[in-house]
Amino acid sequence: MRVTPSICTFCGVGCGIGLRVEEGWVIGVEPQPGHPVSQGQLCAKGWSSSFAVDPGNRLTTPLIKEHGRFRPASWDEALQRVADEFGAALQALGPQGVGVISCARATNEDNYAAQKFARAVLGTHNVDHCARICHSPSVAGLARTLGSGAMSNSIADIDLAEVILVIGADVTENHAMIGARMLRAQARGAKLIVVDPRKTRLARLADLHLQLRLGSNIALLNGLLQIILANGWENRAFLAARCEDIEPLRRHLAGVTVEQTSAQTGIAAADLERVAYLFSHAKTAFTAYGMGITQFQSGTNNVIAVSNLVLACGQIGRPGTGINPLRGQNNVQGACDMGCLPNVYPGYQAVSDPAVRAKFAAAWGRPQSDQSGLTSLGMTKAALAGELRALMIMGEEPVLTDPDQNHVASALAALDFLVVVELTLTETARMADVVLPAVAFSEKHGTFTNCERRVQRIRPAIAPPGTARGDWQILAELATRLGCRGLDWADAEAVFDEMAQLTPSFSAMTYAGLDLHQGLQWPCNAANPQGSPVLHVEAFPIGRARLLPVSQVEPDELPDAEYPFAFTTHRLHFHYGGGSMTRKSPLLERETPAALLFMHPEDGIALGLRDQQAVGVRSRRGYLETRVHLTDDVPRGTLAMPYHFREAPCNRLTNGAQDPVSKMPELKACAVAVVPLAVGVAPRAQAGAWQESAHASL
Amino acid sequence: MQAYSLDRPERLRAHLARERQLYQVQPDGQGGRHWQLTSAGSLCDFQADAEPPPFSAKSFFFAERELLFRFDGGHFYSALPDVAAQVLFGLHACDLVAVAYQDQFFAGDPHYQARRQATLLVGLDCLHSCAGGFCSTLDSGPAVRPGSADLILLPREAEEADWLLLVASEAGRDALVGLSLDPASADWQAEREANSARVAREQGEQRDVVEGIAALNAGRIDAATWEELGLRCLACSGCTSVCPTCSCFAPREQADEHGGVQRERVWDSCLYESFQREASGHNPSATAGLRVQRFWAHKFGDDFKASFNRYGCVGCGRCDRVCPGGIGVHGVMHRVVQR
Repeated sequence: MRVTPSICTFCGVGCGIGLRVEEGWVIGVEPQPGHPVSQGQLCAKGWSSSFAVDPGNRLTTPLIKEHGRFRPASWDEALQRVADEFGAALQALGPQGVGVISCARATNEDNYAAQKFARAVLGTHNVDHCARICHSPSVAGLARTLGSGAMSNSIADIDLAEVILVIGADVTENHAMIGARMLRAQARGAKLIVVDPRKTRLARLADLHLQLRLGSNIALLNGLLQIILANGWENRAFLAARCEDIEPLRRHLAGVTVEQTSAQTGIAAADLERVAYLFSHAKTAFTAYGMGITQFQSGTNNVIAVSNLVLACGQIGRPGTGINPLRGQNNVQGACDMGCLPNVYPGYQAVSDPAVRAKFAAAWGRPQSDQSGLTSLGMTKAALAGELRALMIMGEEPVLTDPDQNHVASALAALDFLVVVELTLTETARMADVVLPAVAFSEKHGTFTNCERRVQRIRPAIAPPGTARGDWQILAELATRLGCRGLDWADAEAVFDEMAQLTPSFSAMTYAGLDLHQGLQWPCNAANPQGSPVLHVEAFPIGRARLLPVSQVEPDELPDAEYPFAFTTHRLHFHYGGGSMTRKSPLLERETPAALLFMHPEDGIALGLRDQQAVGVRSRRGYLETRVHLTDDVPRGTLAMPYHFREAPCNRLTNGAQDPVSKMPELKACAVAVVPLAVGVAPRAQAGAWQESAHASL
Repeated sequence: MQAYSLDRPERLRAHLARERQLYQVQPDGQGGRHWQLTSAGSLCDFQADAEPPPFSAKSFFFAERELLFRFDGGHFYSALPDVAAQVLFGLHACDLVAVAYQDQFFAGDPHYQARRQATLLVGLDCLHSCAGGFCSTLDSGPAVRPGSADLILLPREAEEADWLLLVASEAGRDALVGLSLDPASADWQAEREANSARVAREQGEQRDVVEGIAALNAGRIDAATWEELGLRCLACSGCTSVCPTCSCFAPREQADEHGGVQRERVWDSCLYESFQREASGHNPSATAGLRVQRFWAHKFGDDFKASFNRYGCVGCGRCDRVCPGGIGVHGVMHRVVQR
């Protein structure tokens, strides 16, 4: 047996794993002892990684769809088809008529290549990835208040915190090694405070659980801040030295009373006061948040409200503190860092800046468009309007993971041409005209960047199945066919080196340096050659931090007579994204609950439902059937569903209402009605599904 | 037991590797240590490291994933492994006790036995305790237990002294044919006793473990305590993966493109909610507390001790290291005793 050191590909924590290989087969995975992030531990997903990369249902050859059916094709034929179709779309509509959805699961090298392909080969800034639906509000909100959207501190800072404040993040399930670290910190005496409408595991173990009403984040955060200001508990020295004037925010909050906050959030006044006291008086308070902050139409303002609280108490810029958005995918940080966003080049260099465009135009030898690019949801809309003809999706599964499934599916069907680069035939790949087989993380060199900005190497442990190829190699081939040789790198390290050369915050990073230090945290440049575990120590990227007044915004859709339940979505410890990797494990698949709709037992009684009974769930956008799981994990009146399962895709129900700044859809809150199905009846997986045959263009 | 003086363990290693695949724990340069194939001509040192490797030798016999059989629609085809003679060089006492425990559990399992019968076990006495071990409390070390190895390496307190080599089985004696060795002159029994006393002192009283075992068997741990512990169990399967005596497996069937089926068996974990869930949905161990309780009953229950002549825990402490919830053996026993 050989063990190849690598990095886990599930969430953004970036745990160190060893791939245990026997006879060309990954038979298992082990935690890397002494890894700076995971410290020799893994979650259920990590331990089960061998199944995720199993050759079982992997794509081994390119597929071309003819008359609605896929047939195997040679690489030459498939690539030429893709190049021809993109060429035709470019000719018909120009660069605005094509787009690339990159992948938060792929390496930095793949993502760098994807945005270079879009910008240098296709000539468009229509490049995006799923950060749009996880942390785009963090990037937007923290850019306004601090100037940088990544975790300000490191995971290891949890060890130094006196207070740990977790808002809208189910950490033990979704970022398990961070959750484990928080529990160890609590065991040594740190106070753990969890803000969540659901009674998560961490909430049940916390010193204080603020079970706020779904979508009342800003009311809560403003209320806490007003208690702090009213009592004079703010950190005046920090505010004076590091922030712009707090007075506008102080005036904005002046009228807020504890009673109002309590009424708006459903949290007792005494608990509000206790949390305000603990957070403001702690020497070190580590703040972490997740999708429960960002996935709202007020996502950016929610992030700003978190930032206000942290800044007012001076809980940033030192070890043991910080604003720490917990990122979802193994490389969503990296995909953002690499510039797979319509408005920025690698390292967040603004597309709107002519000097930046000139720099990349010179480096790449291709003119750079000054037309702004579309987000992924913008591309969906453009496709429906006939303004986007050809789209490449690399390894993402928007059909399952984007809001309002029927809308997404019909947009993909409206395209002239869709190419999907994937490991397996996902729901999204099924809609493609051409599917190209990609190699998995266990089969290639590259780097991932975890949520604490740590860039870490992965290495090939086994050979790819069939003729599968790496993403950047596929893009290089396509680029050549479209008349651009600029993606012809010798190896992954050469891609990385080109990126580092053009990206100031990566300028001192090399593969050798990453090996030596078990990964390096950006910024890693001449000033910080060993990387930067803690940001904003001396100053913020925008100089003085800004405290910006924000007000509570209710979810776009609130329960009413027709749709009486508030509805939210969540994740399970055992599954990841659309389940295309985790569901290959017989053990994790077995852990899938039969009942996916979480409902308070008293609501169950009111509807006359038994535990596990089949129900229909309807929103203004769609309908699905599943079984009901009666549990006090959720409060009365609020329902929750995990989003991993194609049998009951809860994003058929969710709301596409968007945050005006970041375009984040409001995945965390909508309104639904529940209809009991007869006892003994099984839910129908296909009920309410989008029907391909119903679509005129096919 | 016959005892020899051994100038260098690498000489024995080279001898044994001539006709066998030899595995030894080696560092991987990334902070990990693994059982690795080591050739007869290998120049790497053999060191008497008190720390056992993160993974025991379990997977050599009870494979993490293995094909059991194929079915082509008409016939079944065995997938019994064809195992070349192999030797595991430098197994700690605790891990050898675990192999002996598994030998009982898998006594009738042809896949396990095919691998086990082809394997020579070379044990290694410990001079000092590893970081989290408590073998002294559970009668599984630090001296290699009789009957658990074929040969036993005995490092010395005095670094310049020759190693000692004890012959612990007939297979062990046969394996030494052709290797010139001088009989040992040292009082090796006294040295082993002194080593055991030293390690026992280093490991301390282990009161939490001792009292926890008593409480468990007296039924003094209430359901609420188990549920509190269960809330900390993420069902990651780490403990059952690294536990050298855990033996649960699940079948995995995969259809091939020709209408046949192949059945694999894969390591399972009793901490999964679905481990015992029945087709009807009924689950005899429906709560996390019940599942955690069952796990520890298997490790420390007197009923299991009666069947296997010893507890299922060998005191290696690996579960403490991999548990994200802090409920490895010391975590659990501490919480149980503190109540």
